[in-house]
Amino acid sequence: MNFEPAPRPVRRLPWQLAAWAWLACCLVVAAHQVAFWRGSHFDTDVMALLPQDEQAPEVGIATRQLADQVTRQVVVMIGAPDWAGARKAAGAWQQSLAAAHAPLRASAMAGPDTLRDTLAFYAPYRDRLLTPAQRQRLREADPQSLVRDALAALAQPGGGARLVDWNADPLGLWPQWWLARASDTRARPRDGQLALEDAGEQWIVLLQETTGAAFSMTGDAPISDALAQARVAALAAVPGAKVLAGGVPLFAESAASHAHREVNTIGWGSVAGVLLLVFLAFRSLWPRLLMAVSLLVGVAMALSATAFVFGHVHLLTTVFGASLVGCAEDYGLYYFASRQGAPGEPPLRLISTLLPGLALALLTSVLGYVALGLPPFPGLRQMALFSVVGITGAFMTTVCWFPWIDRGVVRRTRFSAWVVDSFARYPRFGGARGTWLAHGAIAAACAIGIAQLRVNDDLRQLQGSPAALVDAQREIGRLLGLASPSQFFVVRGTSPDDVLARESGLTARLDALVGQGALAGYRALSDWVPDAALQRRQAEWTRRIEDGVIAGVNRTLGESQQRAGFAPEPLTLDKWLASPASRSARALWIGAVPMADDGTAFASVVMLRGVRDLAALPPIARSADGLPGVRWVDQVQSVSALLGRYSHSMGLLLAGGHVAVLLALAWRYGRRAWRAWAPTALATVGTLALLALLGQPLQLFNVLALALLLGIGIDYGIFLLERENADAGSAWLAVVLGAASTWLSFGLLALSSTPALRSFGLTLLFGILIVWFTAPLYRKSS
Amino acid sequence: MKKMLRVFALALAVAGAPAFAATADALKLVHERLKIAPVLKGEFEQTKTLKGFKNPLVSRGEFLVARGQGVWWHTQQPFESTLVVTRTRLFTRNADGSATNLMDAQAQPGLEQVSELVFAILAADLDALADKFDVAAQPAGASGWTLVLTPRDPNIAKVLVRATLAGERDVQSVRIDESRGDSTQIRFSRQVPAAALAADEGKRFQ
Repeated sequence: MNFEPAPRPVRRLPWQLAAWAWLACCLVVAAHQVAFWRGSHFDTDVMALLPQDEQAPEVGIATRQLADQVTRQVVVMIGAPDWAGARKAAGAWQQSLAAAHAPLRASAMAGPDTLRDTLAFYAPYRDRLLTPAQRQRLREADPQSLVRDALAALAQPGGGARLVDWNADPLGLWPQWWLARASDTRARPRDGQLALEDAGEQWIVLLQETTGAAFSMTGDAPISDALAQARVAALAAVPGAKVLAGGVPLFAESAASHAHREVNTIGWGSVAGVLLLVFLAFRSLWPRLLMAVSLLVGVAMALSATAFVFGHVHLLTTVFGASLVGCAEDYGLYYFASRQGAPGEPPLRLISTLLPGLALALLTSVLGYVALGLPPFPGLRQMALFSVVGITGAFMTTVCWFPWIDRGVVRRTRFSAWVVDSFARYPRFGGARGTWLAHGAIAAACAIGIAQLRVNDDLRQLQGSPAALVDAQREIGRLLGLASPSQFFVVRGTSPDDVLARESGLTARLDALVGQGALAGYRALSDWVPDAALQRRQAEWTRRIEDGVIAGVNRTLGESQQRAGFAPEPLTLDKWLASPASRSARALWIGAVPMADDGTAFASVVMLRGVRDLAALPPIARSADGLPGVRWVDQVQSVSALLGRYSHSMGLLLAGGHVAVLLALAWRYGRRAWRAWAPTALATVGTLALLALLGQPLQLFNVLALALLLGIGIDYGIFLLERENADAGSAWLAVVLGAASTWLSFGLLALSSTPALRSFGLTLLFGILIVWFTAPLYRKSS
Repeated sequence: MKKMLRVFALALAVAGAPAFAATADALKLVHERLKIAPVLKGEFEQTKTLKGFKNPLVSRGEFLVARGQGVWWHTQQPFESTLVVTRTRLFTRNADGSATNLMDAQAQPGLEQVSELVFAILAADLDALADKFDVAAQPAGASGWTLVLTPRDPNIAKVLVRATLAGERDVQSVRIDESRGDSTQIRFSRQVPAAALAADEGKRFQ
């Protein structure tokens, strides 16, 4: 045990000011936290973590818009061999759901008035709207045969086919145009329900939307629970019925309750282990309580800062944030272990002695995270900001408050004395030949391991959604013939009409692919509102042809019909958007997009339905070739490509982080710096080698874990180096307690069922263990 | 909108099929008086009164209804045309024997319901009809009856005011009143029931 040679007086005033200033800071954050938890600022969409294409801002907007549209939607499909069975099962399902009081309500279906209004809105423009097939027919058919068709249609039964008076649509073009619009989905109204038949099975589609926040942070799954109950009720009513449920809220809820459960496991595991360790070491839970305060402050500040800068906090950020515990509590442990080593020392004097080392530990951790946040990767930046603010908050709390709150005398316990004493006996790498041989052997083993390292950029690694949910979602998409949200075209133009005209160029090519069976169809705004030039052309056509047909029918039947009048002006996008008639297709319009050159462009989305298979995608993607302003977006592919690009640069950034940390260490310790750095470097390389040998592919989360390892591991090196002449045993106690508790908590993460969390946990499991046991090996010979 | 199209098909089904059904006692009566055969053929005369037309449009022709197969509606006068409804499609038969699809179940799943309805009508499946219509049945004379079908679905009611069927052992007439003001009256005659389709008749549904 060493004592300071001569007690120097410590100036209290700066420390007092710091404590009060920090309290003010905490109060501001507390106020913000109240607002934060009232609103829901959590995000579960993995896409939100990924960088956006800066060349084409409309792609990002389109992606968000398509995602927003479905964030609240839950789709349930109930199937039975016959319609009566499906209705019975659906009735039981609805009754059970209503009784469960889940935060769900049935989406309003378009009523008769909406349908009538929509028809009335479009009717004046009927002459300007044609399907591609009608265009072809009107171009090719001779006038005589069109007159014959009109007469035959008049003779046939089925008056309701005409949606307007005969003289407003003598060829019956209008219902066909609506039929084409109706093909957006396979579901049709039947007995007041949405229904469809598939392979002899009758399905009822029940559209629901969530009423509460996107998901709860309590870990409950009220929607999934209510749906499971309703499913049981449906199956009880009709044995053999099928119930499918899908939708973003279910995925979000599953992810949230999953993450919650696992964060809880980690949290409780960590708490139990650490409580035991702290109790053994300090024979008091007081230090633990103070460390909890510092953590709480850190996490609250991190949440507030992240919400302030990014507008929302991603769920994965909070999971990563839970892992900050390991880093943040090191400061508190170091403080209390040192207090024990110098029981007579006033806390204020002690903290001023420890401050340089603590600050350096903070600085190196911050450097590691900043390196991680350098690439324009919103997810990584968010995690980097969260971590930097979180550990800074914990650090400031430790430094500013602990000396004032912690007044008692801290005594050595038998356990801490044993740990402290063990340090002197711990082996050390000297310059002996055996040491170098051992290093050579380790280096060779690492080289072999790392040579086998594989990189995995599969996006699905990030999200561990239950397979049953994924399957149900896929089946619903297939049954309903829904447009894919991950592959689409974005069309950009200088004006709304330009966008529509460019869309027509694209859809003409897509029509050919539909004919070849590459896809079932597409959804495009220009189908609902053609560009002005096309409308004008079609209006002229229909006028010329229908005048002829009406004249012919008049001659044959001795009538004197006159063609009805239509709107003189084309239907514009503005008019359409302002009307409720645009409801079903409005989401395809992106609107004005600010461009890099300060100009404004307009953009829309063209979605695909029923793409035959993956092999059909390349020819579909090529439809955009040579069309100005048309861009193909394949999120699955581009995200994988992106992750591939970044995992390479993230490796470099991690290396850069190590260099930056080493420089910071050299600035304080000069030539001794390597002693603090070597254990972490060894752990990083060793962990990579171990992962490779275990056949674990390297991905984003391993790199994140290695960044955290850099933050934690260097702390241990610094503590030991900082106190090597004073009270190295106490620093070792801090290292042992910190490493053990971190290891306990992250060891549990390795058990997670989410692939991302598992690889995160496994990486830290190895890394912390290596740092822990190698850190003292590099100490100076006494 | 989709509902309007369905109504079109529904109206077609009601008009094109010798049809009926009902509720309670009056229905029983219709049941007793009506004889259902798996295949029914005969002749029709259709009178359409359309808004904007000075004269009613009268057409004549022959029809064939086969349970489980479809309805074949062959207009001979004043213009030759053939309309066929099956479970999976709605098409016109051209002069050269080729078919032009107006709708098929792949693109228009609603068509299957229409076919189902046609067959429900043919089988006098009262439950199925009572589901979609309010049915009022009345005896007419010693052996006759009248059925008035009023749509329950407000979407259908927007287009179809009512369908009135009258008959004895067969359906003899169907009258459809549309909310647009148009109406269609169809009289059936020379009806011949049969147990099965003749060999060449089956091709009409392909």
